[in-house]
Amino acid sequence: MGGSSHDEQIVRWATFVRENPEKWREQHTTFINSQIIGANEKYEKLKKMPNGEKIIGELRKLRFFGIRTQPQ
Amino acid sequence: MDRKVSDVNILNKFTEDFCSVVNKYARYVVVSGFVAISHGRSRGTENVDIMIEGLSFVEFKKMDDVLVEAGFECLYPLKVEDIYKHLTGKLNVRYSWKGVELPNMEVKFAKDSLDDEQFETRGKIEFTGVDVFFPKIEESIAFKEEYLGSEKDLEDAKHLRLIYMDKLDEGYIEDYKEKIRRVKEWGGVLTMSRL
Repeated sequence: MGGSSHDEQIVRWATFVRENPEKWREQHTTFINSQIIGANEKYEKLKKMPNGEKIIGELRKLRFFGIRTQPQ
Repeated sequence: MDRKVSDVNILNKFTEDFCSVVNKYARYVVVSGFVAISHGRSRGTENVDIMIEGLSFVEFKKMDDVLVEAGFECLYPLKVEDIYKHLTGKLNVRYSWKGVELPNMEVKFAKDSLDDEQFETRGKIEFTGVDVFFPKIEESIAFKEEYLGSEKDLEDAKHLRLIYMDKLDEGYIEDYKEKIRRVKEWGGVLTMSRL
């Protein structure tokens, strides 16, 4: 993503966070949690596939060495 | 351990749990993306970065044992001696909750005077609602703008600047950027007395 609309989005959200200290947290928590839970569900599915455990082990190894591995 | 969608932010809980163990053994700061994310920045991440003071092997082993007891595991099955060797070799290691892929805690030892300085100026930030130590906000912005510099980092810095609009010490940021430039010139080995 790039360009002014993305930039405007950053400004709009940051302004909302700054001006609504009691409101932003719930939306933000939902966003963060959904992302983590969604990714872990994909890993769980992968684990059940043939060689899944082995693939996950390799992915852990890559992640350990700092390479992004979040399944798509 | 509740990892369902709820009012508990998983990333915050993971970070607080990990830091509560580390805090018993060393000073630390949570750095990089989580600084912005805990200030409401809305972006994806798979890891939280923590920088801790260098520890002796004996102290590190104690900490690693307690991390394991607390439900964490090193992402890649290494002996504690090898994890320590990684860290002292200026490499990072990653931990997760046992059996859970994400999130990860990326751990590194402090490696230069700028890292050490962050332990002196660190503090907790009420706005975040996360009970962990962060670097001074001006230092985080300076690092993102001057040292890291990726699109994501610049956006994080922008977010933090908007959150702290009119409250930032711009002189401090500029001075800190100058320190970063000087440490970079000296290959990261500059001591505090030279700054």
